[in-house]
Amino acid sequence: MENVGYFAPSDVGQALELLAEQGSKATVLAGGTDLVPAINYYSLWPENLIFIGALGLDYIKEEGGKLLIGSGATWTQILEDPLVAEKAPALAQAARQGGSVATRNAGTVGGNLANASPAADLTVILLALEAEVLLKSSAGKRTVALKDFFTGPGETVMNDDELLMEVQIPLPAGSAAFQKLGRRKAMTLSVVNAGVKLNLDGDTCSGACIALGAMAPTPLRCSAAEEMLVGKKLDAALIAECAAAAVAAGSPIDDQRASAWYRTKAGTAIVARALAQAAGIGG
Amino acid sequence: MKSILSFSLNGAPVEVLVKTTDTLLDVLRESLGYTGAKRGCDAGDCGACTVIVDGLAIRACLAIALTMSGKEVVTIEGLGKQGDLHPLQKAFHQHGAHQCGFCTSGMIVSAKTLLDKIPNPSQDEIVEYMSGNICRCGTYVEVAEAIQAVSGGKE
Ligand SMILES: Cc1cc2nc3c(=O)[nH]c(=O)nc-3n(C[C@H](O)[C@H](O)[C@H](O)COP(=O)(O)OP(=O)(O)OC[C@H]3O[C@@H](n4cnc5c(N)ncnc54)[C@H](O)[C@@H]3O)c2cc1C
Repeated sequence: MENVGYFAPSDVGQALELLAEQGSKATVLAGGTDLVPAINYYSLWPENLIFIGALGLDYIKEEGGKLLIGSGATWTQILEDPLVAEKAPALAQAARQGGSVATRNAGTVGGNLANASPAADLTVILLALEAEVLLKSSAGKRTVALKDFFTGPGETVMNDDELLMEVQIPLPAGSAAFQKLGRRKAMTLSVVNAGVKLNLDGDTCSGACIALGAMAPTPLRCSAAEEMLVGKKLDAALIAECAAAAVAAGSPIDDQRASAWYRTKAGTAIVARALAQAAGIGG
Repeated sequence: MKSILSFSLNGAPVEVLVKTTDTLLDVLRESLGYTGAKRGCDAGDCGACTVIVDGLAIRACLAIALTMSGKEVVTIEGLGKQGDLHPLQKAFHQHGAHQCGFCTSGMIVSAKTLLDKIPNPSQDEIVEYMSGNICRCGTYVEVAEAIQAVSGGKE
């Protein structure tokens, strides 16, 4: 632990070369708000740290019908960005509810995704917004839909030599909403969270995405529940039925934040609220 | 592995030998003797180690020290000193916005960044912004009063 190496590449090419050379010996460091608490508590030092904060990956822009967010964009940038507010307000809404000012100033969207916590907040709304991530290695690049990205708690399809470069949100981002239940109002991880996106034709739903967090080993897309809404007019009864179906797709556990029983009850309410909000139905 | 870290601390250039495994909080407290930022939880939860980096509040306990290369770091020691206190330090004192005092430096540093951003915050804005600074003694009401008293540069 005295001999941890440190690299702070100044461009993406250098960073990818370092990752290719070091493979599993290297750990990427962005804002450090997930990595460093784990290190402080369990002394889990990697062999080498590759700090990616100087790669210029903190942009937010619209291009080719997509909202492109560099993996290094912080929660604070996302919640203050006028383009996000206009094109994907539910993402800003989620960013506002994470951690505290100081963790939002340091924590990045790339870190939230790559850390692959099943309870992560930006992650669940991005999953509902059908976002994709651009991954690069020295050998090439690929895009992966978030619904195919997570493989388990802390696990993703990313290889050791890949860097998460960018999050791509297809536009228009429908009518979307984020809801979170924590153990208190601020500074708290989600007991359960949900993101939804509805495409509405008048008041008929022509497409739905429902994402649920902290209810399974990975953030979930609830396809059976989504299909229940298509071609229908949303009302309170349909929303309740759909929320129950969404939660039924989960396999919640008991942990220090809540019991599985509570997660199921609360999750149903959280999904229902998100659906009502996205559909513009009071309550 | 040890390397030299150069950054600006409270307006003055600093060079210090650090290990990759040092956090900014380790370096401030143990190498440089700046003990104003406190080690509370070491997990980013409590806010007692809050410092300002390039104008933004962050947790010193979560910042790997080497990532501070070339940055401008401001700690509570940079806000005011004995006999020449920052208006927020005076207001915290006048309003009794502390009991044991452990969280106070982090509170004041956070409050400074709040007022830099929103010079005249509402009560709700104060409560929301300061929610990342935890006080076990329960001085929240007085903290908000002290910030309110300074807001708009009234004090
Ligand atoms: C007090 C506190 C409160 C928090 N509250 C919340 C909350 O309410 N909601 C929530 O969702 N999260 C919360 N978090 C968790 C954390 O802040 C976020 O997940 C944050 O977005 C992580 O980003 P980071 O840049 O700090 O990641 P880091 O800690 O730097 O990295 C996290 C992981 O991702 C990897 N990684 C990072 N960037 C990349 C990349 N570009 N390519 C490949 N791998 C990468 C790292 O190797 C590491 O494994 C909280 C954390 C703290 C300390």
